This record gives sequence, structure tokens and C-alpha cells, in this order.
Amino acid sequence: MRSDWIIEAKNLKKYYGNFCAVGGISFDIAAGETFAILGENGAGKSTTMRMIACRSPISEGNLTVNGYTVGADDRKIRSVLGVVPQENNLDPDLNVLENLIVYSRYFRIPYEAALERSRKLLDFIRLSEKAKAKVDSLSGGMKRRLVIARALIHEPSILLLDEPTTGLDPNVRQEIWEKIDDLRSERKITVVLSTHYMDEAEKLSGRLIVLANGKIAATGHPAELIRSRVGKFALEVREAKGVPLANVDHSITAVSRGSLHIYFGENTDELAKLMPQYGSRPMILRPSNLEDVFLGVIAS
Amino acid sequence: MIALSKVDVVDSLSVWRRNSRVYLRLWKTEMIAPVIEPVFTFFAFGFGVGALVTSQIQGMSYLAFVGAGVLAFTVLMRVIFEVTYGAYFRMVYQSTYDAILATPVNAESLAFGEILWAVTKGVIDSIFILPLIVIFGAASSAFTPLAIIPLVLGCIFLAGLGLALTAHVFEIDHFNIFFAIFFSTIFLCGAWFPVELLPRWLQIIAYAIPTTSVIDLTRAFLTGNFAGRHWIEFFYVVAAALICLEWALKSVRKRMVV
Repeated sequence: MRSDWIIEAKNLKKYYGNFCAVGGISFDIAAGETFAILGENGAGKSTTMRMIACRSPISEGNLTVNGYTVGADDRKIRSVLGVVPQENNLDPDLNVLENLIVYSRYFRIPYEAALERSRKLLDFIRLSEKAKAKVDSLSGGMKRRLVIARALIHEPSILLLDEPTTGLDPNVRQEIWEKIDDLRSERKITVVLSTHYMDEAEKLSGRLIVLANGKIAATGHPAELIRSRVGKFALEVREAKGVPLANVDHSITAVSRGSLHIYFGENTDELAKLMPQYGSRPMILRPSNLEDVFLGVIAS
Repeated sequence: MIALSKVDVVDSLSVWRRNSRVYLRLWKTEMIAPVIEPVFTFFAFGFGVGALVTSQIQGMSYLAFVGAGVLAFTVLMRVIFEVTYGAYFRMVYQSTYDAILATPVNAESLAFGEILWAVTKGVIDSIFILPLIVIFGAASSAFTPLAIIPLVLGCIFLAGLGLALTAHVFEIDHFNIFFAIFFSTIFLCGAWFPVELLPRWLQIIAYAIPTTSVIDLTRAFLTGNFAGRHWIEFFYVVAAALICLEWALKSVRKRMVV
């Protein structure tokens, strides 16, 4: 066991009545790491995040954060956690700056320090000019950035991002990713993010787990997972309904999904050989990505 | 385990300060209401109904009798609205509770802060209304300022009861039932006429409702007519306040921490 694990989960379970939302998962997250929890809606991502944040009592198993046990030292844990929830929950009764100042009180930050930090954070998220603006007047991206700034007001060592870019425009997503990158390089903060976007996990995370029905379906580095699960390249054929999958040898994996056929292999030449039999159907030969792994894992 | 023991007062005060900040931003509208309402209640009950009532009630004029009713009714209403619609908006529509519970503040301290704030609003209103009561000639006793004591207890009782119910409400329209009960009972509670005029069985119900004791105690301080029963009423309200406070704290945890 490594000594620098900042979050350790052992056989973590969560029941809501008879429904099992998380069914015994174990994982460790190292200090300074960016760790992603991937999964479809309802796979147990948010529940896991809420258990880490001491917001949802654990039903079974053991979870420690920063050396403290969830369920026993919740106050100590929450004081080192920055939480960015799935839904923006900024305070509409307060303006932008007040949102940060009022929040800082819950962490008992003295007013002067809170004001200084708030100004720096507004600068960091480029919202200084909106300090007196009403929260409702902000765009979706601005609100998201403000929620992230609010989560940083007490200089946490761990940042929990629950689906940080769900529902945002592509350019706003880029902006949020940029901020998360800045944070990682500037503050050496541990980032735990949940997402159902493969590109997000691939871009941001060092290691990840894939959750399916409350269980861990795969774990590893994105590149490693792609290599071990699906092979380097993918041939994707569209509008292939009614066409049987090509006979391939064991070095190639064939998958059919609706009218889509996908072949995974280690080199492009092998895959290219399959192309003629599909005639003029639209196809693309590309590097495999995390989405392929994810869909493969979910399908199995 | 007693939920009250989990309250961290400093945390509760942070929640209280959040609400007071919002209140101060809207202070003009917030402060006009507690003045307008009792003035017109006095017009209606003191002068309107009062003109019809020529007999003395418990040895006083109807206007003197109804002062405690006007005061308690206005203050308790303020509290009820704060912990029902006010709290429900913060809990459900604005997710303010969710945001707060991601910090070191626990559910009990959050609930206690909300109740503390509702009671504060009740106290602010009392401070506005008490001089009005004196101006209208409905308070004659030197003990008048002490009427704040039963009012605070009544505020804690109804703030606790209201917040506990809010924590059980999943549909905002369900408040209608609660308000129907609240408004019906307040008519029984000796605000506008003495409980003794009711049939025996209704009197029993009326005295079972702690609001009756709150109003009777308030009246005692405004008029200076104290009796032995006031001690019983005092302890009854204290007990009701503590029970409802504890229930509110437990209910908010049950609702928010799942």
C-alpha cells in the first residue's frame, strides 16, 4: 500500500432502501492525481462522489479521505474538500462577490482574508467585472466558473467535480478544462471528477474507473485501457444494417451496434483489408478512444 | 442521540448571517409589512369588531384584550412564512441547503441557524409592533416589553414545527393543508376572543395547542394581570419549543442527508 493515498475506498456500498446504488467498489486515489469516475447516468458516479463528500452516509465498507474516516471525522474532511456539484447551486439572493464571501464564513475564514481570496478567485475565473452582478444574470459558463471558484475559497487539497461540463457549450467546456488544468499545475490539487464524457476523462484524468450498475467494470490509465481492451485502431462502418460482420482472425475484434460495425486491431493495414467488402458505405479508420472502451465495457 | 447536541452555534450563526444579509438587502419591503399588517388588524378587530363588543372581557376593554392577539398573530405568521415557503425555496428551488452542506456546517447547525433566523425576524417584528400596541392603547402594563419572552418561545415552537413539516413536504402545494390547519387553530387560540367562551371540548383542544398559552402569556405581560396558570403555560410552551426544535433538526437531517 502506498503511503500517499489521499482517498481510499474499500468495498464501498450504498443502498437506498432495497436499491443498491453502489455495490462494493474499491479504489485508491493518490495525492495530486486527477482521477475520473466514468459511467452512464445511474451507474453510481454521483452517489460515490456524495459519499466522498460526506453528504451521503455509506451503507457498508470503508472510506478514508486525507487520513480521516468518512462517517466519523466528516467535519475535518469537509474542510479540506472543494465540492462542485452537478447542478449549480449558487445563491440567487446574493451577488457574485457575496456568493464567495458568504460561503467563506462556513469555513470560518476571516473577512479580510476572504475578501482578498475572493478577489483573486474572481480574477482567476475572469469575473472581476461581474463582482456586483446578480447570479441570475450570468451565462451558464460564468455560473460554472463561479461554482468552481466558490469550491476553492478555502484552498482545499481535494477538488470534487461532479460532471463539471454537462450541458455546456463546446467552447465553454474547453474553458472549464483549461481552468482545471491551471489548477492542477498551479496548486497541485487532487482532482476527482465524475463524467460521462469520454473526451473529458481522456483529456483530464491520469487514472479512472468505469462504473456500471454500481460496480467497477474497468480501471486504469486511459491509454492503457484502450490498448488492453480494444486495440490501437478502429474501423467504423456506418449504414451496415443487414450486412453480416466480416470473418476476422483473433487479432481483430468485431462489434456490431445497430447499423454500426466496428473492428478493433493493432495496425491499420489489417483493418484496411476489411474495407472493400463494405463498398461505398461511409467508413472511417481512426485511433481507438476511451468511448470504444466504455461502450465495450458497458456492453459486456 | 439528541440532535440539539450536534449544533455548532458558530456554524448556525454563519447560516443566520447569510439570511440576515439577504434581509438587509430587502430591508425596505421587509420592514414595511410588519407595520402595515398590525395597524390594519387593529382597525379591523380593535375598532371594527371592538365597537360591537361593549362588555368587558376579563376586566378589560376589547381593544386591550385584542392587543396580545394582534401582536402574537403578526409575529407568529412571520415566523411561519419564513420556515415554510422561505425555507422550502432555499431547500428545494435554490439548493442553498445543498451548497451549505458541502462545507463543514452539518445539518443540525444549518437547521438551527434557520430557526434562529426565523425567531430573529419575529423579534424584529415584535420591536416594531410593541410601540404600536402602546399607541393604540392596548398595552397598559410596565411589563409590556417582557412580552417578548413568550413571543420568542412561541417563535421557537412554530419555527421548529414549521421547519420539521417543511422537511417532510415534497410538493409545495402541501403547505396549503398546513396553512389551513394553522389558520383554523389560531382562531381557537384566544387571539380574538377568550377561550372560555368556547364549548368545553373545544377549550380542551385550544389549550392543547401551545399557541394558546403563548397568546395568554403575552396578554399577561401587556396587561399586567398575572395568574398561577401562567407558570404552567410557560413550562408547557418551553417544552413544546424544545420538542419541536429537536424534531426540526432531526427532520432536516433525514431530508438532506440520504
